[in-house]
Amino acid sequence: MVMDGAPILTSVNGAASSGEAVGRVLGTQAASPLSFWIGIEPGQAVQLDEVVITRRDVPGHGPVLMAGVVTTVEARHEGASYDSDVFLIADGTLPAAVVECAEVRVTRVEPEIFVPPSPGAVVYRAQAADRDQALYFDVMDRRIPMGLGRDGQPMYVNFDFLDGTRGAHVSISGVSGVATKTSFATFLIYSIFNSGVLDAEAANTKALIFSVKGEDLLFLDHPNARLDEAATRMYGRLGLPARPFHSVHVFAPPRPGDPNGVPHVSARTQGISAFFWTLTEFCEEELLRFVFADADDERAQYSLLVGAVAARLQAWAAPAGDGGAVTITPPGGGGVTCRTFADLVDHIADQLTDDGTRATWAGAQVPLGTVNAFLRRLRGAVRALSPIVRGDLPPGRPHSISTSDAQVSIVDLHNLPERAQRFVVGVVLRGEFARKESSGTARPLLFVVLDELNKYAPREGDSPIKEILLDVAERGRSLGVILIGAQQTASEVERRIVANCAVRVAGRLDPAEASRPEYGWLPAISRERATIAKPGTMFVAQPEIPVPLAVTFPFPAWATRPSEAGPAPTGVARRTVDDPFAGLPGADDDIPPF
Amino acid sequence: MSIAIGQAGFTVDAWDPGYSAALAADALAELGPTSAELDLDVELLAADWRPVSPAPDTAPPGVMLIADGVRRIDARVWSNDAGAAPPSPGIAASYAAGIVRCTPGEGAPAELAAVEVRRSLFTASPYASDIKASAGTYRVETAADDSMEGLSLALQQRLTQLEVDLSVRCRDDDAGDGDLLIVDGPLRGRTHLPRTVGYIKTHHTAYLPAPQAGVVSALGPGQRTPVFLMGTSWRRHAWYLALPVRSAAPWAGIVRCEAGADMRPDEVVELADAITLALPSLAGVDYKDPRAPQNLVPIGGLEKLLRHRLGDPRLLYRSLRAAAGR
Repeated sequence: MVMDGAPILTSVNGAASSGEAVGRVLGTQAASPLSFWIGIEPGQAVQLDEVVITRRDVPGHGPVLMAGVVTTVEARHEGASYDSDVFLIADGTLPAAVVECAEVRVTRVEPEIFVPPSPGAVVYRAQAADRDQALYFDVMDRRIPMGLGRDGQPMYVNFDFLDGTRGAHVSISGVSGVATKTSFATFLIYSIFNSGVLDAEAANTKALIFSVKGEDLLFLDHPNARLDEAATRMYGRLGLPARPFHSVHVFAPPRPGDPNGVPHVSARTQGISAFFWTLTEFCEEELLRFVFADADDERAQYSLLVGAVAARLQAWAAPAGDGGAVTITPPGGGGVTCRTFADLVDHIADQLTDDGTRATWAGAQVPLGTVNAFLRRLRGAVRALSPIVRGDLPPGRPHSISTSDAQVSIVDLHNLPERAQRFVVGVVLRGEFARKESSGTARPLLFVVLDELNKYAPREGDSPIKEILLDVAERGRSLGVILIGAQQTASEVERRIVANCAVRVAGRLDPAEASRPEYGWLPAISRERATIAKPGTMFVAQPEIPVPLAVTFPFPAWATRPSEAGPAPTGVARRTVDDPFAGLPGADDDIPPF
Repeated sequence: MSIAIGQAGFTVDAWDPGYSAALAADALAELGPTSAELDLDVELLAADWRPVSPAPDTAPPGVMLIADGVRRIDARVWSNDAGAAPPSPGIAASYAAGIVRCTPGEGAPAELAAVEVRRSLFTASPYASDIKASAGTYRVETAADDSMEGLSLALQQRLTQLEVDLSVRCRDDDAGDGDLLIVDGPLRGRTHLPRTVGYIKTHHTAYLPAPQAGVVSALGPGQRTPVFLMGTSWRRHAWYLALPVRSAAPWAGIVRCEAGADMRPDEVVELADAITLALPSLAGVDYKDPRAPQNLVPIGGLEKLLRHRLGDPRLLYRSLRAAAGR
């Protein structure tokens, strides 16, 4: 209801401004340079996250622009004193006014003269240049679109805080299933690759995605058949093409029991290869440590023993043939050849239980109880690791995980037991990190997407994987390894990793989780809202902008499940398992030139 | 007690203006003579008087315009006359009139159709000039005499005039002929407005003789007495009606309505029926309003809005003091 019908469109605070007037700064609530309330003009509406601006002439400084984001919106009856008055007002007997007001958190004051806005000053909906200024988009030289804001305009993240120039790493939190953490991470990677900020580096910048949940990520290079007109337009508004990733390679563990080591994936046949480690590599690279990658393992007494046995394996193992099998020959002779992981474990067990050989493997004075605990744990790993630590497969097959084949490399872990997942993540991350370390340059960048970070880098305890992740978080910025970690509960992830993330993202949060101090970067109202956030809505905090931005990212242009997958891409059929020449040396990498 | 400063031409009395306001309110209540001229036979013969329920085919008014005004004395001032004459008293007052448009049954909200706020300085002094205070300008209105009652009466007259002006203007703008204007208080000075009813909440005089007065006591909720014609200093049609009330006190929930004297009896009866049908639904509730049920909900809401529009009394008082000191 209009109290006296007088419109307030006429500007009294002088400054002409772009955008439509939505209301005026309230004087009944104190206005401060950091936050103020506005009364909404009848007939207008503002919603949460909308960007508004107001100006004030400050003597000696000229016009000062104050821009902010709406964080609270309230409506009530003015002139009613009892709750039951609402019925009288609705019946049309009691005259009262509906008044709407909104709280604005100031994001930017330009120039930086921190004065409160004058009560009564007209507030405008920020558009175009004003909006860019309010959200600091005008000072972002290299910006990555990360979705649309409530007003349907693109929101950006500053690439300086992603590529290590001023910060790096992304932490994404949210409830499993509805928070769309992996989808957002994938979209972010897509946006980085396709927005043009990488220029010439775009081709060499790589992403390594660990896929732990089903076969969702195996179709990144297939167009999404469910992509509709509206979603395509959304990509258009973000300045991105709506198409799948163009270069994807999937690594999957070998199918158990298959003599040829065919990848254990049913839905994809092209651009896929099996990964495993040979027993030779296992011994040479001292991968035994990663078999004991639980936090429990580090607390146990046998960590010294793990190191000792790994060192013996490295020293005494020699390749037996070219299939990856090893012959372990302790000093004094008597070599034993192991062709499977189970063989190797059995051999180690024999050697350690034998009173005659135990000292040579474990050093003197290792209590028998410790040895038994070690062996119990090692034997427990046999079932999990047998498919991926092999000495029985035909030789010459490329089997290692490498990011050099395609722009996006996906490591499919969903078929592996948890211990094997840890082993793969630990070994692969160590390999990639060492490779970047030895190359000596941060560019081109490598983005690593790792879900369930709380499993690999828990707050409590130590493990070799946590060490590597901490290394990535603390030194990755200068080495060009950017971690995009996702977890259901940021409160359970090692604090130093979360603290090193420049960009923090939250999707739908569990109400109990949202109240933890790890989400202090979300203002109370956003925290409440995060508990009802819809899939596809994320709150993104970046260092430059004092409030997190709510963004909606578009429906994936790539398929996320077999039923959505459009026609497979053509011409990238490298290392196809159907290739009849698979397994022959030299016939794996090239397409015949005809 | 006065702050006498020569140049400004007036002085603000340091006493809280509320002290005299209470007196003025009492003085202004209808002080009708007890010997009113009555014609009880307009609708029913005096002997046949009984409570009347609205005729079953009565149509409730489509639109009701409800007018009210509020007044407040912001300060008592003393005008310093030229020469050696003693200063003459005056009152600086804010007053406002407003009209609420109710459309019962339509689901439309009750709207403030018109509102006007004025500030005036009432004085009998011929030398007084407008007071330009920082919070508002008080225009001089001349009162007939400089007694408190005289000044207060002048204020009441200006307020009534403002209500009439507003009603006329609102009617002109609306151009709807199905509407009914209810003015709070006696109809005096407004009898020329068509389809207008005066609504009197308080009774200072028992106008009706004993047998007919008994009919008033016998009224059930939503019933009225027959229409009668009464003449005091002016003539008008009148009837009593009973609003729903929980109290068993004598005359609880009884209000008197007035309509123009020159209306035809059948017109008045039709109007009385329409009003009797419409008013009970607007009656106030006792725990929300100490003057319930007579103080109708729209009037209570309007008064609250108008009082708010008068502005902050402390701020106005201070600005008057500041203006006097300049």
